[in-house]
Amino acid sequence: MSSQDIVTATTTIESAPDAKTRRYDRQLRLWAATGQSALESSRVLLVSGSATSTSILKNLVLPGIGHFTILDHAKVSHSDAGNNFFLEGSDSIGKYRAEEAVRLLSELNDGVEGRADTRNLENILESQPEWITSFTIIVAHNLDHALLNKLSALLWKDARYPPLVVVRSAGFLADFYIQFHEHTVIESHSETSPSLRIDKPFPALRELALSLEYDKMDPIDHGHIPYVVILVRALEDWKKTHGDSPPKSYEERQQFKKGILALKVKADEENFDEAEAQAYRCWTETKVPSEIAALFSDPALSSETMDSDRSPFFHLLAALKEYTKQSDTHTLPLTSTLPDMKSDTLNYIQLQRLYKERAQEEKQAFKSYLRIPVDDCMVDSFVKNAHALVVLRGKPWDTFDENKAALVESLSTMPKETCIHLALSALSLLQANDTSVSPSAESIRAKIQSIVGQSNKLPDEADDAIGEIARAPFSELPNTAAFLGGMVAQEVIKMITKQYVPVKGYCVIDLIETSTGTISA
Amino acid sequence: MATGVHVNGAATSSDWQDRYYHVDQILDRPGPRTDPSFLAGDEVKDFLRNKCKILVIGAGGLGCEILANLALTGFKDIHLIDMDTIDISNLNRQFLFRPADVGRPKAIVAAEYVMKRVPGVEVTPYYGKIQDKGDDYYLQFNLVICGLDSVEARRWINATLVNLVDPENPESLKPLIDGGTEGFKGQARVILPTVSSCYECSLDMLNKPTTFPICTIANTPRLPEHCIEWASVLEWPRVRGDEKLDTDDPEHIGWLYSIAAARAKEFKIEGVTWSLTQGVVKNVIPAIASTNAIIAASCCNEAFKIATSSAAYLNNYFMLIGTEGVYSYTFEHEKRDHCPVCGGEALEMSISRDWTVEQLIELLTEKQNIQIKKPSLATPEKPIYFQQPPQLEEATRPNLEKKVSELVPDGGEVVVTASTLPFSLSLIITYM
Repeated sequence: MSSQDIVTATTTIESAPDAKTRRYDRQLRLWAATGQSALESSRVLLVSGSATSTSILKNLVLPGIGHFTILDHAKVSHSDAGNNFFLEGSDSIGKYRAEEAVRLLSELNDGVEGRADTRNLENILESQPEWITSFTIIVAHNLDHALLNKLSALLWKDARYPPLVVVRSAGFLADFYIQFHEHTVIESHSETSPSLRIDKPFPALRELALSLEYDKMDPIDHGHIPYVVILVRALEDWKKTHGDSPPKSYEERQQFKKGILALKVKADEENFDEAEAQAYRCWTETKVPSEIAALFSDPALSSETMDSDRSPFFHLLAALKEYTKQSDTHTLPLTSTLPDMKSDTLNYIQLQRLYKERAQEEKQAFKSYLRIPVDDCMVDSFVKNAHALVVLRGKPWDTFDENKAALVESLSTMPKETCIHLALSALSLLQANDTSVSPSAESIRAKIQSIVGQSNKLPDEADDAIGEIARAPFSELPNTAAFLGGMVAQEVIKMITKQYVPVKGYCVIDLIETSTGTISA
Repeated sequence: MATGVHVNGAATSSDWQDRYYHVDQILDRPGPRTDPSFLAGDEVKDFLRNKCKILVIGAGGLGCEILANLALTGFKDIHLIDMDTIDISNLNRQFLFRPADVGRPKAIVAAEYVMKRVPGVEVTPYYGKIQDKGDDYYLQFNLVICGLDSVEARRWINATLVNLVDPENPESLKPLIDGGTEGFKGQARVILPTVSSCYECSLDMLNKPTTFPICTIANTPRLPEHCIEWASVLEWPRVRGDEKLDTDDPEHIGWLYSIAAARAKEFKIEGVTWSLTQGVVKNVIPAIASTNAIIAASCCNEAFKIATSSAAYLNNYFMLIGTEGVYSYTFEHEKRDHCPVCGGEALEMSISRDWTVEQLIELLTEKQNIQIKKPSLATPEKPIYFQQPPQLEEATRPNLEKKVSELVPDGGEVVVTASTLPFSLSLIITYM
């Protein structure tokens, strides 16, 4: 939506929301129509019909993904029928697990298309890999070691191929990992707010502040001056008598704050109280946040990359880099959003208008650095969120376990989580040739030791992880499946909507202590 | 009792071979973090599947998940309380309900669905309030799990269960597992009444609700929210008088929206939308299936561990934020000595000698760790101010203007009660 004048914006009355909007109301408040639209265009592949997989799907079908496929050649066993809500007890035994699960999941939302595919993943990887890469995202739960390696290698081959979420669980322990090349986020929904630039006021704001005549003002108006204006003026006045510098030492800052309170003509003028509380904004230099400045060195911005190979996000980032370099203040473009503050309507709206106009000017200047045309909505969103952009770069699934140095480091900083991760890796390796193998604690420990390297001592925390796996190597507990169902679905939603920040690294879960931790981030 | 249940007309148990294969791997042998008192094998399975009685409070976003998880875990005798009916906005996460169920009671529909899907489970629904039930009702259960959306209700059940505890009778201690979610945030906790920190002990952890000063609403609106508050708080009573505002009625929301929009236009404020109107007036909390799934699973996992002793349980608070990666924090929340519910000690309160009874009442309403809405006050000898019954309220009303110091000596005790909460708070008043 491009800028409309205020009259139009406030006279356009919406009609009552339709059924779909009402149904999705509670989630639209988190990711808005843009997020919902991304979900509804997505196609998700689950390469198993396990209880964990159907739990994950439940939490994706309910919010309305476009399509899901369950690829599973297995038939429902006696034990499957007991731990999966999307099977109908003993009635489902003997039928195709994918077909039963798809049928029951589809009941949750008739806006979602579901498909059961009873082919064998191994054959598809061999003969039809392009079918797999056509999905938006793929999730694999407790996939056989060899197949997992083939699948992850396939999906890593091309940066444009979909991400893969690898999920593993046994009893009370679990971990999951998202394999992706690169993931950019504009709408991270960060709690930090962009700067109001009180220390580097734009000309119109400075003019307004300097035009105030405190002694000639009506006392009521005096109590309605927004704190932003009070501070800009106070800072200007201070700089005039302090060599053009803001308050530096502790004493100077105390003096500055006292000076603001001394401007009060009545004790209950809350705007001056607010100004005193926010006074730190005068001596905190507004500059490009370090996380954003770091993005300016991103390899995607190098001059060797062709314009046509660069995604719109990086074109915007390149423009942002150039803009901050060239602007007078060397800051990010000004925000148009003003927080609420003690003031009357007139003064507040007037100030808001100044910010909006200046933000608009700076946005136009920013746009002039774009080398390709970019959709207006995306530009608006980018500028609005410039202080909180996120770029994540991932690694192939097996990189961590292949890197003994990284494992040893992780064992010393996060021993509990690393041991759980390694115990799950050991289990997967021990069952690689025979899924019915019930490994002993000794064999699990030996396998972990071989992954980590014989000379590297395992911490005490390894005992618990090994013991838990040996206790229940084939156990897919309904509550663990449900827990993972929520955790993984949430990450999938973040990946698809490109809102909020997904997990980078292995998220390790212990449902005995009920704790989580992310390693190899 | 669960053993007498007949499902689908079958006289024999509805279990089949390997039905509990996954759960039994845990119940057949201990793990490294299992209490020595754990009795692996048939006895614990018999308790879980034939004897244990569990109560689920709430059949909404958490409740639906909890019910399904408990049924699959093997609990066969589940009771369920919920006072609401199904709304279309529930359908994005309350997966036991379909569009055709809108308007029907949640507890009844949820029970029907789970009993149909999971053979052998008996779910006894109650469509009504938790306050409708008395001590003997709650005493019949081994565990209580809450998926409530109200602080008042949580305080009520917490206090009720704490009051049930009879030190001579260990069976009267009913573990309470409580879950809550909001957007991408959630928490789950285990409360052992009188033993661990209770819900009231952590009251000050709650976020203060957003309130707007009345002069901003009436005279100097700046944000679209101010315009909406004006419509609902000031304009509705003026124009629609005695008619009670029903925030679930789309016509009411529509009316408020157009009034708020007109005011916004007058003050040149942008941003009033239908969604914002509904959000402000109903205090809507964003909600998604995934967070509810995580927290409900945590709660049910605790229920399983506590009921079977098969593994160490959560001690005692788990907090999760899923907006940036996965951040969680597990810690032991400490019991508060002065907790009005589970602590023994009176709370010392120092106030000005000039304070009136009315001012003291205002403090009790607002203080973060007390938050009692309509408190009644009394000394051990006589009443100070009672909110009910009407005759007593009238009789004690003159005391509101009196100074507390006229009625209570320095170091004297004041007992605070409220009709919504089954506990009393003891204050020791000193004057500064």
